[in-house]
Amino acid sequence: MQEAVQFKLGSWLVNERAQSNAWMFAAVLVLCTLGCALFASWLPLQVSIVTVFLFAGPHNWFELRYFLMRMPVRFGRSRNFFLTAFAGLGTLTITYASLPLLYRAALWSEEGWLTIIAIWNTLLLSWLGLLVWQRSKQKTKSNWFWVLPVALALGAFNWLTPEFFSLILIYVHPLVAMAFLDRHLRRNRPTWLRTYRSCLVLPLFVLALMIWRLSQTTSLADDNGLFWRITQHSGAELLPFVSSHLLVSVHLYLEMLHYGVWLLALPLLGPLVMGNGTRSNPYARVWDLKTVPLARHPLGFPKAVAIALGVGVVLVLMLWLGFSVNYATTRDIYFTIAMAHVMAEAPFLLRMI
Amino acid sequence: MKTVLAMTCLAVFVLATAFAVRADIARPKPSEEQRIKTVYAQLEIVPDSKALSATLQIHRSDLKDLLASVEGAPTNTSFASSITHSGTRTIIAGMLLFLSLSFAGVWLARASRSGSGLSRSHKAIAVVLVAIATIGTAAIITRGNAGPPPSYAWRNLPTNLTSGRSTRGSITISLLPDDPNGGGAKLIMPVTKKNERGEEE
Repeated sequence: MQEAVQFKLGSWLVNERAQSNAWMFAAVLVLCTLGCALFASWLPLQVSIVTVFLFAGPHNWFELRYFLMRMPVRFGRSRNFFLTAFAGLGTLTITYASLPLLYRAALWSEEGWLTIIAIWNTLLLSWLGLLVWQRSKQKTKSNWFWVLPVALALGAFNWLTPEFFSLILIYVHPLVAMAFLDRHLRRNRPTWLRTYRSCLVLPLFVLALMIWRLSQTTSLADDNGLFWRITQHSGAELLPFVSSHLLVSVHLYLEMLHYGVWLLALPLLGPLVMGNGTRSNPYARVWDLKTVPLARHPLGFPKAVAIALGVGVVLVLMLWLGFSVNYATTRDIYFTIAMAHVMAEAPFLLRMI
Repeated sequence: MKTVLAMTCLAVFVLATAFAVRADIARPKPSEEQRIKTVYAQLEIVPDSKALSATLQIHRSDLKDLLASVEGAPTNTSFASSITHSGTRTIIAGMLLFLSLSFAGVWLARASRSGSGLSRSHKAIAVVLVAIATIGTAAIITRGNAGPPPSYAWRNLPTNLTSGRSTRGSITISLLPDDPNGGGAKLIMPVTKKNERGEEE
């Protein structure tokens, strides 16, 4: 009886502490969201250069580590799912990276080039559809049939205007991090989930405010090669009737939120400590190889994980070096190869649903 | 699910075959005609008894597009005009939209028959699909060959000219390479001849 009372009291204390921490979490979220919007609207080009320089590489490394932590030691029933994921990832990345070379080498007409982009986008949609179908076989209780008409409708939109479909991918990708944080909190801090979902209204409100305030501004002066690249990446050529200040600011704001989630929120928000235990957060101990189940398990691959993370660190250092030597070219190369991490998020997010 | 998969495979196979057939054809060398730059715009022909000379009034945006065409730079097109002008891509988009609507119908029918009804998120997906279908269909009708041909707007031009009324329709402005024999601008109007009984010849 006494033990039961103590247990109830203990869990009440944990809930109380979690609730008060949830308010703190909400306050930090609000501050970060507003801070990002302020910087992105104020000096979009300059902040974009600094943000990509500092955080692009490290956020990819943190993503790699997070995915390794979520990777099962044995694929088991998910063998086909992971094989499809890795095969598609490899093929799509190689073909995407070869598109600029193809563009320079061959004399494609504008129409022919748009058709090539549409074909690549269709392959991406087909791969995603295949992954969803394989995942749906494991989640027999839920009906995922609606994904098929949605994918086909997206395919139709892609064939109507392939360039806009690609631009939408650029803007939607940062938001995927929000979905990861949602799933992460559901597993590790379920008491915070409601607070987090309530806070998601704020970025929408901020985006609406940014669009309202910045749509009347004059376009940014893209008089040098680097500024021109940044405005082009945000879709200034495709949307000439929209102020490039608005486009760059909105894209930068979403990117900053994306980096914030991967570099701060996901590593720092580990499992909630129950009772008086002093369990440390495995997501935050980035230096400790044993926090990765794939390396810790007796049947795991510690050497492969160590090599992957080590190579990742070297690539981040090389990226910083490249940015220091020739920022514009390194930025172009980075955003081409970074398509791999955009696609890698899909199978791991599906596994978390 | 197997039927759905089979139908999807069939659709993909048909599309793939189309590409394979096209792939066998050697890429033609770009001819002089293909290098002609085109700009799409609107034209209104206004008969004016008080006018002393024929005048061409042109909007700033159209002129900008024309100049961009001369320079070989991308034209300053709006979102609506950037939607495909390609027949092949329009056909594929239409086919995918048709498949999407068909499968959405199957899904809705299944969900309503299962008795569980549609959840709020499923209803939201259905609304989004209908919206995409509507916008897509509108785009395909606008940019595809559905509806009357562009010449339809000019059918009453001779009558309007004689009765002093204005006529408005779409126009394609083509920038031709320089002709060594000279020659001015040419306006080609899609007007059909009519016989005495008013029938088209």
